[in-house]
Amino acid sequence: MAGPSHSESMAPPKPGRTRTAPPQMPSSWWGEKRIRTYLLFDATGILYFLIGFQAIRLTNALAAGPAAWKAAIESLSSPLYIAFHLLCLVSVVFVAVRFFRLFPKAQPPSIGPLKPPPRPVIHGMLYVVWIGITFGLGGILAGVFF
Amino acid sequence: MSEKTIVITRFDPDRDEKPRKQEYTVPCEPNWKVLDAVNFIKDEIDATVSHRWSCRMAVCGSCGMMVNGQPKLTCKTSLDDYGDHIEIEPLANFPIVRDLVVDLDGFMDKFEAVKPWIIRAKEQAADVEDLNGKGTYSQTTEQLSAFKQFSMCINCMLCYSACPVVANEPEFLGPAAIALGHRYNMDSRDEGKEERNEIFRGEGTVFSCSYANECSEVCPKNVDPAAAVNQAKFEAVIDWAKGLVLPRGGA
Repeated sequence: MAGPSHSESMAPPKPGRTRTAPPQMPSSWWGEKRIRTYLLFDATGILYFLIGFQAIRLTNALAAGPAAWKAAIESLSSPLYIAFHLLCLVSVVFVAVRFFRLFPKAQPPSIGPLKPPPRPVIHGMLYVVWIGITFGLGGILAGVFF
Repeated sequence: MSEKTIVITRFDPDRDEKPRKQEYTVPCEPNWKVLDAVNFIKDEIDATVSHRWSCRMAVCGSCGMMVNGQPKLTCKTSLDDYGDHIEIEPLANFPIVRDLVVDLDGFMDKFEAVKPWIIRAKEQAADVEDLNGKGTYSQTTEQLSAFKQFSMCINCMLCYSACPVVANEPEFLGPAAIALGHRYNMDSRDEGKEERNEIFRGEGTVFSCSYANECSEVCPKNVDPAAAVNQAKFEAVIDWAKGLVLPRGGA
């Protein structure tokens, strides 16, 4: 691996150079319009972190026996949990749509002689796969297939 | 004509400890660009205001500033898109030299780091012969179209101001420099891909990018640096994997 290729880049000015003011970052940087969507995207990680705790709780309940499992499942019907899950659903849709929008242009222009299909086609394929997997998993969970 | 309040960031390195704001009331003509208002202030109200500009037609890339918190090419940004109160600041994420003028040194170092020129392993006899025919290193339209988009960058640095990674990690090579390096990697005449990919695999380069896409959102020339950075990630990984698997790095 190569080391930093640009050690001097944007370094503090050396003695003898014109004094500069450091880059300005307003105290309300988190609300800046230009990075709001990106911060929202990153903040969705908090929801996935919380849902991880929920998965651990349910796994522990499963290990504790049928009564504990039933109680844990029943607790999920509380309005607080429903609101949390709706928030998670919205965040998943937001992350997926953003990812699908950005994914096609990150593809290499070619791999050997192979060229990727046009961006709208990749875009469409992602949605088809997403919807397919959602229905597939929904079917499994609803007992349609097994 | 309508009067607008223009708030400009002022910083005199000989007098000011830190940047301050100064308000001007400007009688704006219809169809003025933001740059016209700043030029009016400089010419008619306060000659001490410093800013960069040149072509007035979105080609030179000199007049990038923050307009109401957004990086904009001021010669291309209409005043009519804003209300009666407009804040103009120097480009974010850059040290300020004076008023609206930012320090370009770090940016230039980054540009140089990606070797933005055509690298040839050695001059070939065929190339010399070709000079008498179709020209040195002739290129098809299809070969040109592979990188043309990335060669349209005017170095206005708006992408650096928009990038949250640059804000957090000033050493990050950044969108425009990586896009330029990628542009040469995609050039059929170039043979320096391996050298540049080694740079791209280094610390603070393509893998620091978290694909916020803000660089492409603000680019006034639709270069789409975010696409270049993420394509460069793929190329750098493939190049590295080739070196592991294939004899002599797949050369």
